[in-house]
Amino acid sequence: MNRFKTLNARRLSVVGFSFLFAYILSFQFEGQVLYSLLNLRGTEADRYILAAIIAHFAGLFTCGLFVKSQAAAKSMMFGGMGLCLAATVPFFFAPSSLWIGGLIVSGYFSGCVVAAWGFFLRAFAPKNERIKSCADVLIYSNLLMVAVNVVAMNRSTFIGLGFSMLCLVIGMVFIWMLPLEQENEQNKTFKNKTHGGIKNPLILLCLFIFIITINSGLMYQVINPAFEPLTRLVSWYWAVPYIVALVIMRNLPMKAKRSRILYIGMAMIIGAFISFMLLGRNTSDYLIVDTLMLGACGVFDLFWWSILGEMLDYSDNPAQTFGIGLSANVFGVLCGGVLGMTVTSIGLPSAEVAVIALTVVCVTLVMLPPLNHQLVLLLKSHAYLATYDNISQSQQTDIIRQIKILDPLTVREEEVLQLILSGKSNREIAGALFISESTVKTHVRNIFSKYDAGSRAELISTLLKNQRVE
Amino acid sequence: MKLIRKRRNRYALSLAASIYLTVWLGKAFMLEVVFAFGAISLISLLLLVRQSRLLYDATLIWDNRILAVPSALISMPGPQMKKDTGETVVSTFGILIGSEIYRWGLDGVHGVRLHTAQIDKERMYLTFGDASKTTRVELLHGMTEKQAILDAAQTLLRETGVTAEIINWK
Repeated sequence: MNRFKTLNARRLSVVGFSFLFAYILSFQFEGQVLYSLLNLRGTEADRYILAAIIAHFAGLFTCGLFVKSQAAAKSMMFGGMGLCLAATVPFFFAPSSLWIGGLIVSGYFSGCVVAAWGFFLRAFAPKNERIKSCADVLIYSNLLMVAVNVVAMNRSTFIGLGFSMLCLVIGMVFIWMLPLEQENEQNKTFKNKTHGGIKNPLILLCLFIFIITINSGLMYQVINPAFEPLTRLVSWYWAVPYIVALVIMRNLPMKAKRSRILYIGMAMIIGAFISFMLLGRNTSDYLIVDTLMLGACGVFDLFWWSILGEMLDYSDNPAQTFGIGLSANVFGVLCGGVLGMTVTSIGLPSAEVAVIALTVVCVTLVMLPPLNHQLVLLLKSHAYLATYDNISQSQQTDIIRQIKILDPLTVREEEVLQLILSGKSNREIAGALFISESTVKTHVRNIFSKYDAGSRAELISTLLKNQRVE
Repeated sequence: MKLIRKRRNRYALSLAASIYLTVWLGKAFMLEVVFAFGAISLISLLLLVRQSRLLYDATLIWDNRILAVPSALISMPGPQMKKDTGETVVSTFGILIGSEIYRWGLDGVHGVRLHTAQIDKERMYLTFGDASKTTRVELLHGMTEKQAILDAAQTLLRETGVTAEIINWK
């Protein structure tokens, strides 16, 4: 019964958020509806687009400062969506200062709403299902966006705008229906069990997201305008490779090494920019470039959305963690957009654009291994610690005693091992035993060596495997 | 320890000087000399890295010392016996004899191991080594109270896993 309730709540939160996100993608955040409107009115698009993105970034980044509970998150989501709805109305009329004001308001509050959803992602999506929840919202919202785009670009921009707002209204209904749940006990337990906290992995992840999405910004400003004459095709095909990539990633078995797929994603970005440089601007060329570029975007977007989703368990404020993580994405798009505008204004050849994009890819390739290490350290260790913590004290001691090791542990090493298994960081262990951190590191290395393990996660995994055998 | 630090500083100085000379001579286009000093820079860098690692190990041994004495008597297999006048430090992670470092259980299970420990009224005898070579060290421990001896033995067991045999105490 309880599980059924959670399942329903999860569906409600996914559907509600998908409708909200469809509005953001089709209108507020570089949406085709907004571009069509600006085109229709013959208005210079750049300042509107930049204002909307900067406001959205600010909303994502600052939401955690004033949304600190699930109830506040629900209020923010519902109220924020209402404000977005009101701020979109002026776009039915001739351009005025209300347009720029509306974009700033809707940009800021849509950012806050997205960040606030972090509370519901954590509360209603089970730990191993977060990747699926994230994939679902991205797939549904993009399908809705394609439908709105097709209407806006092939029928009427204003009908498209109406559909965008309808998405927002439907989203509000679903968010209104969301139940408020008590904080999951497990979240409370593991929040404070972070080896040095989530700060380092989060900073590294944000840096990675920021750098890789510079290419998305370049894509919006350089690649898309080059294929503008193919309106009919672009209106429906634009997001198809993205959705296909998400579906594939979503349905991969849990054992699949997703980190390898990131390298495939990198190769796809490289391929997209090289194709853009070498090919022409007709239909088949567009299909190749867009498939490679948007397919890669799908891979990367799901990667960091799901990682952020997993990180929520170790955060005091999910809105803050989720918001800051996604703000790095928006900031990357913003910087890439500015770069793209500059490139377009000075008429840089496509070959040089490709070189810029490839440089960005090279930097991200260098960042991937340390990022992977940091994330494994955080997420895998915690997953194992969660399991280990559920075992009774006597069973834990038995496991440690029974396991075969290459060399017996000294009394001091046993003390250090116990502290490792209680989730303490090297610094905390040093403080507890009144020894230096380098001494702890040496003990930890020796313990790993005696258990033939390469990391904390592997060590605890070894202990748990031993327990299953018993 | 001091000797290791001095050597480290010397190599650092040599590296800085050779890099400076390489750049300075490079500006004057004296290519042959630049190559020579470049090679010296590279060698200095390698020596500096090695010495820095030795200093790290020595510091680790010093920070986790169980017993520190002014000198030790070392005996190897065979007839030779040598007296080392350097300060000797026995610790959780190894033994430091002057500027010689022996780390036991380097990374847990490899390399030099501490095999036995014996303590009498005047001396502590430690036997350590790897599969190919065993070394015995005699230290004048300077402890007069039995309790101090027992504490040292206890610490040795706790930190290294080796039980010290206390001999000739009544």
